Amino acid sequence: MVSAIFIIAAGLGAGFLIGLLREDQKGAAFTVALAALGFMAWVSVSWFVALASGTAAPQDIITAGTQPPFAINLRMGLAEAGLLSVITLTGLLSLVYMAPALRALGRRALAVLVILVMALSGLVLTRDIFNLFVFFELVVIATGGLVLLSDDKRAVAAGFKYLVVSQIVGILLLIGIIFVYHANGSLNIDDIAAQPMGFTGAGLALFLLLIALVVELKPFPANGWALDIYEAAHPGVSALVSAASATAALYAADKLFAAAGPDWLPLATVLGLVSFLGANLLGLAQRNDRRLLGYSSIGQIGLVLVVVGQRDILGDAYLYVAGGILFTHAVAKAGLYWISGLVPGRDLADWAVLRTNPVLLFAFAGFIAMLLGLPPFAGFYAKWDLAHALAGADRLPVLGLVLLGALIEAGYLFRWFGFALKRPNPVAFPGFSTTGFAVVLAALAGGWGLGFVWGAGSVHGNLLLAAPLLFALAFLVLEPLPAWAKNLLAIAGLLGWVGFRAPGYDPLHLVFALVMLAGGAVILLASFAVKGERFGFYPSAMVMYAGLALLIDAQTSFQFFAAWELLTIGSYFLILRGKESEPHALSYILFSLGGAFAILAGFALASGGLQPFALDNLAAIAEAGLPLAPWVFLLLAIGFLTKTASVGFHIWLPGAHAEAETDVSPMVSGILLKAGLFGLWLLLMHMGRQSLFGVDLTYLLVWIGALSAFIGAVLAIFQEDAKRLLAYSSISQMGYALFGLALMNHLGWLLALMFVINHYVYKSMLFLAIGGVKERTHTKLMYKMGGLITIMPFTFVSVLVGIIAMSGVPPLSGFGGRWVFYNAIMSSEMRLPVVLIFMSGPIAFLYLFRLIHTIFLGQLKDEHRKLKEASGWLLAPQMIFVAFLIGFAILPGMVLQRVDAYIGGHFGSTALAWSGRSITSEFGYWNPVAIMIVIGVIFVIVLALLVAMNRNAQKVKQFNIVFSAERPFKPQTTHFAWNFFAPYRKALGFLEAPHVTRFWGGITDSLHASADFTRRIYTGNGQTYAAQVIVFVVAVYLVVLGGVS
Amino acid sequence: MNTRFSIRHAAVLGLLALLGLAFWTLLAGYTPDAELNRTAAYYAENTARETGAQNIVTAIIVTYRGLDTLGEVTVLFLTAAIVALVLGQSKAPRGGTGSGFLPSGELLTTGTRMLLPIILLFGAYVALNGHLTPGGGFQGGAILASGMLLMLLADPARRFGHRLIARVESVSGLAYVAIGVLGVALAGGFLDNRILPLGEFGAILSAGAIPLIYALVGLKVGAEFSSMLESLEETEDS
Amino acid sequence: MHLVAMAAGFALILMGLFAALTHRNILRMIVGFTLANTGVHVVLVSVGYMPGRAAPILDDAVPVAEAAARIIDPVPQALVLTAIVIGLGITALMLAYAYRLFRARGSLDIADYTELKW
Repeated sequence: MVSAIFIIAAGLGAGFLIGLLREDQKGAAFTVALAALGFMAWVSVSWFVALASGTAAPQDIITAGTQPPFAINLRMGLAEAGLLSVITLTGLLSLVYMAPALRALGRRALAVLVILVMALSGLVLTRDIFNLFVFFELVVIATGGLVLLSDDKRAVAAGFKYLVVSQIVGILLLIGIIFVYHANGSLNIDDIAAQPMGFTGAGLALFLLLIALVVELKPFPANGWALDIYEAAHPGVSALVSAASATAALYAADKLFAAAGPDWLPLATVLGLVSFLGANLLGLAQRNDRRLLGYSSIGQIGLVLVVVGQRDILGDAYLYVAGGILFTHAVAKAGLYWISGLVPGRDLADWAVLRTNPVLLFAFAGFIAMLLGLPPFAGFYAKWDLAHALAGADRLPVLGLVLLGALIEAGYLFRWFGFALKRPNPVAFPGFSTTGFAVVLAALAGGWGLGFVWGAGSVHGNLLLAAPLLFALAFLVLEPLPAWAKNLLAIAGLLGWVGFRAPGYDPLHLVFALVMLAGGAVILLASFAVKGERFGFYPSAMVMYAGLALLIDAQTSFQFFAAWELLTIGSYFLILRGKESEPHALSYILFSLGGAFAILAGFALASGGLQPFALDNLAAIAEAGLPLAPWVFLLLAIGFLTKTASVGFHIWLPGAHAEAETDVSPMVSGILLKAGLFGLWLLLMHMGRQSLFGVDLTYLLVWIGALSAFIGAVLAIFQEDAKRLLAYSSISQMGYALFGLALMNHLGWLLALMFVINHYVYKSMLFLAIGGVKERTHTKLMYKMGGLITIMPFTFVSVLVGIIAMSGVPPLSGFGGRWVFYNAIMSSEMRLPVVLIFMSGPIAFLYLFRLIHTIFLGQLKDEHRKLKEASGWLLAPQMIFVAFLIGFAILPGMVLQRVDAYIGGHFGSTALAWSGRSITSEFGYWNPVAIMIVIGVIFVIVLALLVAMNRNAQKVKQFNIVFSAERPFKPQTTHFAWNFFAPYRKALGFLEAPHVTRFWGGITDSLHASADFTRRIYTGNGQTYAAQVIVFVVAVYLVVLGGVS
Repeated sequence: MNTRFSIRHAAVLGLLALLGLAFWTLLAGYTPDAELNRTAAYYAENTARETGAQNIVTAIIVTYRGLDTLGEVTVLFLTAAIVALVLGQSKAPRGGTGSGFLPSGELLTTGTRMLLPIILLFGAYVALNGHLTPGGGFQGGAILASGMLLMLLADPARRFGHRLIARVESVSGLAYVAIGVLGVALAGGFLDNRILPLGEFGAILSAGAIPLIYALVGLKVGAEFSSMLESLEETEDS
Repeated sequence: MHLVAMAAGFALILMGLFAALTHRNILRMIVGFTLANTGVHVVLVSVGYMPGRAAPILDDAVPVAEAAARIIDPVPQALVLTAIVIGLGITALMLAYAYRLFRARGSLDIADYTELKW
């Protein structure tokens, strides 16, 4: 192995050599810089590989032939090698990326860049505090120089502010160093570790040293100068500052916190938390992309500082966790800054230009996912382990704040992605620079590579080797294929996976697998209707399905959570594809991530930090009656309720489902919602009833279910938009299912299961049917339609069958659901929720009949006369559903009997007796075949009567409308279907008031307002920034002092 | 400039008083060592044997903490480069630089002619004797550069060869790094001065590579200061 | 009194910082920081000082054998040299920046350079 000292020597040598060249030998200067950085990167990476694979041992490098502490020594260990790899590779890529700007500025700029990377490497390698100071100052000066690369005139002022603050840091650092030396008799970091210092006397020196290093990390709120640099510098420089400098500075701080001993770790934790939360909060108010990335950088480094503060509990996992977050951040942030250099505008919405290059868009999405610690990237594994360590050590406030900060960060990052995907692309764009593009791709590859490495090092197995996810990712490569080919492959994949896995599932898992995956394949039939490449659809959809497949397969909490996050990401991208879906997709992902974090916290709490944690162990926790059991239950339940869009967490659903594409609505409604039910099912099955403060939590769930069922239905009746109507109806239906589950008895569960199946079938069918109508009429507003029965007869049939099934009238399967349901609630003690649930039934009918009445009956609009029936591919799955509904109505036992037995095994009861085709409960019996025959007979008689009396009917002319002397004030008011339920609105309108929307809106608004207010501390005045740094130091000093005394 | 006492002043004063409190704590808790601490004691006992230098401070700077010094030299190199970049981007209008100055007086010109050789000689002496007496490459380099400053003062319109200065700067830097690397190859580690014989204790050619390094540092520092002075001088508004 | 130098150093730091934080003129701020840096250097040197001992140069006055008992701590002296040079570098850089700012805007008031904020 090449000694690490040559990294330093090569950097310095190249710097001086470039100085020797003539000003016009720019090519040669560039080659020297490239060779030097390439060499430095090669040495670092080869050390990393050797150390990680165990073929080399960590090396201590002495200088001057004298042992430390009498001479400066360097250390090359695994952490150092990893950091150096990140730093030198970032430097190398930055050189390539900034080549034009560097050439324009001359060879000196190249020397400055090489020396900056050298100094950062020195910062990582050195074990001597004064040497640390020297390298720090080199970094400061080099950064100050590189700021000049920017075209932005304001960069010089930013550079000056940076130097001002660096002066203060330098002063503190030197005072700290000399007094630490005085106390210790040594400048060596390892000697400081050997003699731990308390807070008094010499501890103050250590404090000055630590706080100076922390200030170098640009902690909130003493960081205005850093933000100015991030905003004004060349994006390549900002990438370096964020990815390489911040990483090195963090390691420098880490070395000293490690040496200072565990007494000082809370300082790192608190300062890190303040930074993480504060910076992310202020990021909310940002519209400038580079400044936003600056805020995010500061936040992320704060997060790693929090991890530094947990090194006492992380133990062996420390490097894995800190490295996972730090490296992922470095790669993602560098990538984002590099992209920002390719985007001409500085407003967040200007990133819409990325749509001209799908690969960059994919890179953008990837970097955001990396920053947020989503699977399958390295940060995900790190976040998981961190949460478990925190829960295991009872540091729950830290865990809660970290998750809160991450959620805020997700808010602005996903909002930004929404802008990029949905905002108008303002300029005719000439195209991206090829080198810049290549550099971004290199960063992207690095991010995925890190994900693979971290996955390989995880005890939970590598997500990137999970077959469903690989299958989904394969669609990225297959993007150039036509949509039909990809669709065929997707269907084959889904069916193949179900066929492969189904034999091993118990009946409950089997039902969910069939609904989610086989059901997904059926819906995908409708996707054949779309022509072209359909860019981005298949990777997103298949990631969602991969998540669902893994969710059903999950044995441990980790597998479950990873699958949960995957299906969330996939469905987010899927929902975002809709035309008007930008705000709805954002609220979807925020609720989902909030829920996911609750699940993460719940699992972490349940496991007590011990991994891997089998899902079955939840039962053990419940049985042991631990005081944390109800909390685990509550957190997990909240997570799942966000997915089922139960009332309170429901506001994302109507928009998300209604604005989605025609074949996406059934996927996210018919299938995705079931993931929440699946989670609740596992939860209730394993943990049973839990009481918190004397309240039975399942009783709470019953209430939530009943309210969701009722309010969802009431809101649905007031909708004019057909897809929104269906969406609200989903809230109601999920409420039923939740209610059934929470009843905690045999029939309740059977009811829930019937809803799982039925809701999938009829909601998918209705969404496809209404989507087909929308594609023909180009509107979702019902009062703009009418009389389509003659034009779209097949669609009519499926809507008719769908609403019959859904409203629970005989003869279709909805009735079966109702029947089980009535039996279930008869055995329940809870009167009021039962009344609510009862009432939602008739209300459902009120909104459902409008779908037939308004869309298909009545007058045909003039502009609709030339329409055609919906595409055959849309109809195909609908007809399958119709057949299934009729079959399921006649032979419910096919599915239910096995599940009934399975559930019975859990409750130790047999509530239903299955004999032949009829089913008996303690309250009565249900013979589906007989019912079908009776209804058939009645139908035929009524039909015959109608046909016979048809000639008595009077034809009404198109303009024969009577308005009782009321003058319509809007055109649509002349339509009978507009505001159809106005009388009910008078009675129930108060329910329509968006209290929940206002509540969540109030939270986000106040967050935004406080962000906008707080960021005014960054006045832009360098002197104020300097004062802020001193205030920060003094304030922390007083707090530490106060904490000690 | 507004110097009247304001709220801002009071706030800063209060803030610095609190910082002063921290300094006071350091000061009050400080007791000078009665004995050298172990690092200093090691140097006191082993410097002569290990490095052959009389001046322990020099031995520490050039050998034991040589990496610091290399960094320090690099700081100057960087600063010179960046100052040239900063000022190079905003040159004063052409033809204006320096030309508007009155010629300096006879006294200064003659004095410069007389003093310059002595200054340069003294600078070289200080740099080369760093291992024996107080002084060294940095001090020597600064003295060399002061000679340069004197020349600029005497003749503001005068231009030195930028190229020459840059060459001296870079070659001495490269040689310094090369000596450091030779230390890895021939002696105990990077920047080990024992790549050359330690010689007779107290002689001018002793202490291994220290005089060589200090000569290079002197050249480099002199060149860097000169280059900075020149960059600053070239921006002079007429 | 060995503490006088150190106290003076600290006082210089505070004075320098006061100047840097109250004078809006960039050049005066730089002077303030230079003052503060000088204070730091004084503090550095004063830490190594031991009453009644000689400079760490092994000549006839201080033979090698007695060095440990006769000389003051040489390390702070070595450190201060590095600190001085680095401080000088940063000061030079700040001056260059000040010039550049002045050329661009014709003002040396730090409060005039606040376009980047929030």
